[in-house]
Formats: sequence, structure tokens, C-alpha cells
Amino acid sequence: MGSSPLLEVKGLSKAFPGVQALSLVDFDVNAGEVHCLIGENGAGKSTLVKILAGAQPQDAGSIVLDGKEVSFNNPLDAQLAGIACIFQELNVVGGLTIAENIVLGSEPTRMGFFDKGAAQKIAQDLLTEIGFSEIDETQICGGLSTSEKQAVMIAKALRQNAKIIIMDEPTSPLEDAEVRKLFNVIQKLKSAGKGIIYVSHKMREIDELGDRITVFKDGAQVATVTRGEANSEDLVRLMVGRQINEMFPEKTHTPGDVVLKVRQISGPKIRNVSLEVRRGEVLGVGGLDGAGRTELLRSIFGADPVRQGSIEVDGRNIPLNSTAASIRAGLALVPEERRSQGLIPVLSVYENAALVWDEYPDRRASSDPKPRAIGDVISRLNVKTPSLSQRISKLSGGNQQKVVLSKWLLAETTVLLLDEPTRGIDVGAKREIYQIMCELAQQGMAIVVVSSELPELLGLADRIIVMNSGEIVGELPGDTSEEEIVALSMTHGTPSTRAQNEK
Amino acid sequence: MGMLKNSHNLQTVATLTVLVLMSAVFASFSDRFFTVSNFQNVMRNAAPLIIASCGMTAVMIARGLDLSVGSVLAAASVLAASLAVAGFPLYIAFALGVSFGAFVGLVNGLIIAKISVSPIIVTLGMLNITRGIAYLITPSAILVGLPGNWSDLGTSKVIGLPLPIVIAALVAMFFHVLMSQTTFGKRIYAVGGNEEAARLSGLNVSRTLILLYLLCGATAALAGIVLSSRVGVGDPNVGIGFELQVIAAVIIGGTSLSGGEGRIIGTIIGALIIAVLGNGLNLVGVEPFWQWVAQGTVLIVAIIVDRQVQDGVNRANK
Repeated sequence: MGSSPLLEVKGLSKAFPGVQALSLVDFDVNAGEVHCLIGENGAGKSTLVKILAGAQPQDAGSIVLDGKEVSFNNPLDAQLAGIACIFQELNVVGGLTIAENIVLGSEPTRMGFFDKGAAQKIAQDLLTEIGFSEIDETQICGGLSTSEKQAVMIAKALRQNAKIIIMDEPTSPLEDAEVRKLFNVIQKLKSAGKGIIYVSHKMREIDELGDRITVFKDGAQVATVTRGEANSEDLVRLMVGRQINEMFPEKTHTPGDVVLKVRQISGPKIRNVSLEVRRGEVLGVGGLDGAGRTELLRSIFGADPVRQGSIEVDGRNIPLNSTAASIRAGLALVPEERRSQGLIPVLSVYENAALVWDEYPDRRASSDPKPRAIGDVISRLNVKTPSLSQRISKLSGGNQQKVVLSKWLLAETTVLLLDEPTRGIDVGAKREIYQIMCELAQQGMAIVVVSSELPELLGLADRIIVMNSGEIVGELPGDTSEEEIVALSMTHGTPSTRAQNEK
Repeated sequence: MGMLKNSHNLQTVATLTVLVLMSAVFASFSDRFFTVSNFQNVMRNAAPLIIASCGMTAVMIARGLDLSVGSVLAAASVLAASLAVAGFPLYIAFALGVSFGAFVGLVNGLIIAKISVSPIIVTLGMLNITRGIAYLITPSAILVGLPGNWSDLGTSKVIGLPLPIVIAALVAMFFHVLMSQTTFGKRIYAVGGNEEAARLSGLNVSRTLILLYLLCGATAALAGIVLSSRVGVGDPNVGIGFELQVIAAVIIGGTSLSGGEGRIIGTIIGALIIAVLGNGLNLVGVEPFWQWVAQGTVLIVAIIVDRQVQDGVNRANK
């Protein structure tokens, strides 16, 4: 480690109308260090990241990179100065090959023409350097997994000689094995002397990666600690200003009669799935990404095609492949992709909450007039919004999710299907959503929740089914261990499924 | 691995198959279809379409659109014709015609890229402006009295091939190399596929777009000169609806409407499908109005087939 930090931020401040997003933040990153940023949404960490990435100008304060004071007018300036950002929405060009993406903007040429061979060599070298040598650099980027796209972006950052690499929640779309791989890459970047700023909500990752950890709260930096100085409990306390001993409310709900019966349904991505859920029960669905969990929820809801089988709600078969029929039967789906599927960004909080209310007058859960019914639910779920007419896209992820839930609570929902309900949501809001789920279960709602976060499954579910390759490979009690779920997730189903997979 | 590359090849094979089947059907209805003279005739007719479609392909891969090409074609051809009538040497008349098209494209590109106005609106406006200019240049409908060598470009032959075909081939080759072998070409795909990524990679997105519209205007103008040289007159009414043929050729050829994908070879096949369709229906004796119906139908079918093929490939990928 050098004598002076690679990146040094002094007295950084930034105000938005009505909010002091950052006030007098001092922050630095050394070469070969992973510096984690944690804090609830709105705590200021993303504002800091945006300023460092050149996406927003600061009001006051200085940024010194490699001993030189820098200022950025746009993201390109920041990149040229050596700060690369691996954002959640990955900036790869689907129609170009991996090699072409990695050299994009600084292409090798021969006699004025694009030098394909040299580009491929550069790409392969960089991918090998970060431990992804098995990726074929001549492949088109469109078909890559998120993990591979991240690798492409990291290789590209290296191509652009980035000194500082910012990773914003890089693991949320990844499976466990891919997370391992990413961590190996981070170790390699560290030993290559890069400074890494790592933003995450996940305590386990921070424990493992963080050389130093800076905690943000309400736009101010509350503490910067070195590894080992504070445990997860301490960090969470610093973040929220209160001790969260129990992230999850106690399971006080008791399962009643069976309300949802799925019998042998099959579709393009699921095979022979049968399950039952009782009133007041939370059924967890585990498995790796691509195991068919999302498709299962969507199929039950009628949004993904079901070729055979039957679905029974409250003792009555419902027509398959029709979301309208599912809603009329009392099913509700909170999809994984909140922004693109859960809500309509251009509409207000009020209009988003009213979507189902307006479309299905006979399913309304309340006889109150619409404004009152909506107002009640919004305040019951503690949605933090300046007004009901606020555009929903302006709210934080947690509050957006609560509005999506409100939409369904305004209808007579008996079975709530939740797909990764807390993805990208900060700790405080997560806890609130868990609380809401438990209350709903207590009131007799049946809940099916898909989650990649094992503590979440264990903390919420009464029973956990595990999927692999579109089939249910086993069921575990709610008090099982993370290890058991992982082990089961890796288990393959019937030989016929295996044969299908190997094709 | 390489599935998407395969999907490109699959696409080419599919459109090629359509072209061959269509030709076979026409050949079975008319013995005049499969003759050398008719083949040259089709190619000569297709030449302006191919030339203009090359520029349009580049623009559409970059997620743009140019509706003004039909009017630019007309304005450039009457401009060149009136310069020729006024006694300018032909090469100067032609060069100024093409420059006019490039200038119109430049204006399109500047407004679209620098002021961020939707390309549909800008080029729709330009469609009217340039059509107006065409009529302003030749108020008396059709321009006659052209010098004798005016038609050389459209009717003479080089190594036994009609010159329009040679010009179209050269333009196509130029665009093919530009798009597949140069850095600029990669950037066209990047701008169309993911503009933000392109910008963050340090590409000058607006300069790329401006240059593409400029090229598109220039090819439209060149197409106009080739066309009017072949017909032998300068006609301000020429090329009404031409933009739709061009866009159809590009889409039938497999360029994605949402940008980032497409190849010149596909566009050439697309243009040939349209040309063969028109020629074949003529020979078979179908009324001209039905040709419009047929063209529209082919376009819609092409998009549906494209979607199916794409879905199939995606499914096979998973």
C-alpha cells in the first residue's frame, strides 16, 4: 500500500431540493484495498458513487485521484481519469462479441481496419487475468449470463486502465457459485493494486471482503472501521441507529385449510410441479437461478404458459393461462423485476395502487370510496411518499415495493405470490416488508415466496420447497439450515430431467 | 456458443430461400422470367433500391430511421438534371446532386443527434421539405432537354454488366466493409445496441449518428441519379413511397427495428425480394395496385418469420 491513498475525497457535499444527500464526507481508498460502503437507501452512498462516477456534480468538496485533483463533467471524464463503475444495469452491447465489447472505445486497428485478431487476443488475456479464461471471446454478448457480463465489464475496465473500480450491489443478480467467482476476481484486482469501492446490503459479503467499511446514515459518514473492528451487529446498529437483533418477526401465524392446490403442472420451464399452500402459511421456494422458481410463480398466476395440470384455489379449478382468471380467483403476483413488471414508473403512487382496483371492481377488498381505501392501505403499509400524486419512480425501492403490495391488498387476495420481494431494498425497508408478510399470513393469507437469500427463506417460511431444472426436488421444514437448502438445490431431479439438461 | 451468429446465417438462408421460392413460382407462371434479359432488368431496377438501402441499413442498425430518402432521391435527381440542362458537365451535376443528398442527411443528423429530436419527426419534416425543393427546381413537372450522355450512367455496360448494377455492387461492398471490418462499423452496432454503453466507452455517439444520416442522404441521392439517368428524365414526382420500399428491404433483410443487429448482405437479399416481386407480378400480369398489397404483405410476413426464427433460436439457446 502506498503512503498516500489512491483516491481521496474531502469535504464532499451535495444537496438536492429538500434533502442534504451528502454533507462533508471524507473518504479514501488505498491501492489494493476493498472499501465497502454500507447504509440504508437514501443514506448517501449512491450519491457518493454517482459523484465519483461523474454522473452528478458535487456542490462542494474535492476529489483527488492519484495525487491529482480531478473534476468530472460526465461519466466519460471519470472513466478516462481511471474510475470505472460496474453498475447493476450492465452496459454491454448485446450485438457485439465479447472481444468487441472489451475494446469498444479503444479498438486496435491494422491499416485503418478493425483488427479482430488483436482484439480477441487482448480480450482473452484480460479475461484470463481475472480468472474467466473459459469464456469464448468470439461469442456475442447477447446470450451471456449476468455473471459473464460482469466479467466482460471488469475486463473492459482493465482495458481502460481503471485504477478505481466501483461495484454497486454486484452480487444481487448472482448465484452462490458465481458470487464465489466474483470474489476471486476481486482478490485478483486487489493484488493488481486496484482500489475497489464495494457497495452492498449484504453483511456476509462485507465481512468477507471489506478491508475497511464506511457506514453512511442520512447523508453523513457515521464511521469508517477496519476489518475486525466491528461485527455485523455493530454495523447494522450504526446504519439504522438501532439494534436489530431480530431481522425477522416471530412466526406467530398458524396454517389453516389448504387454499391453493397445484397439481402436476408443466410448461416450457417447469415440469410436473405439485404443491399445496394453506391459509396463514408461508411457503418458501428455494433453488438456484434458472431453476424455474420465477416461472413457477408466473405459471400459477397464468402469466407463463401451462401445458397440462390443474390449479385449484379454494376448492375450485381455475382456468389456466389467464391472469384475469387468476386475479378473480384471489391470486396476486409481486414480480421479481419491480421496475419493469411490478409497477408503471410514469404513473403516480395513487394510480399504481389503483390498477387492480379499477380493473376488477368486483374484487375490491373495501367498500370505502377509492381515495380513502388507497390512502388507508398506503398509510397502513407505511409508504414514505410526499404525496399520493408523487410519481412512483421517485420513491425508494422499498417504498415502491410497498405500493406494489398495496395494489394487491386493495383486492380480495387470498394467495400472495412473491418473487424476490426484497431484492435491492435496504435493511430497514426489508424488515418492514417481512413484518407486513407475517401480518398478512396471520390474517389468513397464503403466501408463496421465492428468494435467493437463504436467511430470508429460513426467517420467513413455514416450509421450504427446493427446485432444480423446473422440478421440485425436495421439501424442508422451516427450521432447516442453509446448508441443507444449498445441498438440495444442487440435487438433480429424475433421470429424464437430467437427460434433458445434458442436451 | 455462437448461437446468435448462427441466427444471422439462419436469417440469411431463410430470406434467400424466400427469394428462390418466389423466383421459382414466377418462373413457372411466365417463361419470360428466367431469361438473361429479364435478370438484368430486375437487377437494374433493384440497383437504386439497393444503393439507398445500404445507407438506410447503417442508420437503422444505429437505431435511427430516415423517412426522407424518397424525396431526397427526387430532389437530387432533378437538381442534377437541371444542372445538366443548364450546361454543367455531367460529373459536376452528379457530384452536386450527391452532395445535396449528403447535406440533407447532415441536417437530419445534426437535428436528431444534437437536439435529440425523434428521427421519425425530423425526417418526416425533411420528406416534405425536399419534395418541395424538387418541385421548386422543376416547376414544369418533367424536365426534358437533357444532354445525350445523360443516360450513360443508367444504360451503359461495364464488363458486360449494366452500370447501375456495378454501382450498386460497389456501394454495397463499401458498406459491407465499413460495417464489418472497421472500427467505425463496430461503433454503429454499439450505438444502436446500447447507446449508454457506447457513450461510456468514450464513443462520440452524436458524431456517429450525424455521419450515418449523411451517408444515408448521399446514397439516396446517388440512387436518384442512377434512376433518373436510366429513365432519361428528371422527374420531381419520382420516388413517392420509395422510403417504404427501402425500409421494407432493410427489415426483410433482417435488420432489427430496435437497432444493434443487421447486415448488408441481408439488405441486398431484401431489396432483391422486393424487386423480383414487382417484376414477377408484372410479368404474370397482376394489376399494379395489387403489387402494393403484395409488398406490404411480404413486409409483414418477413417480420413475423423473423420473430419466429429469433424465438426459436432463443429457445434452442436455453
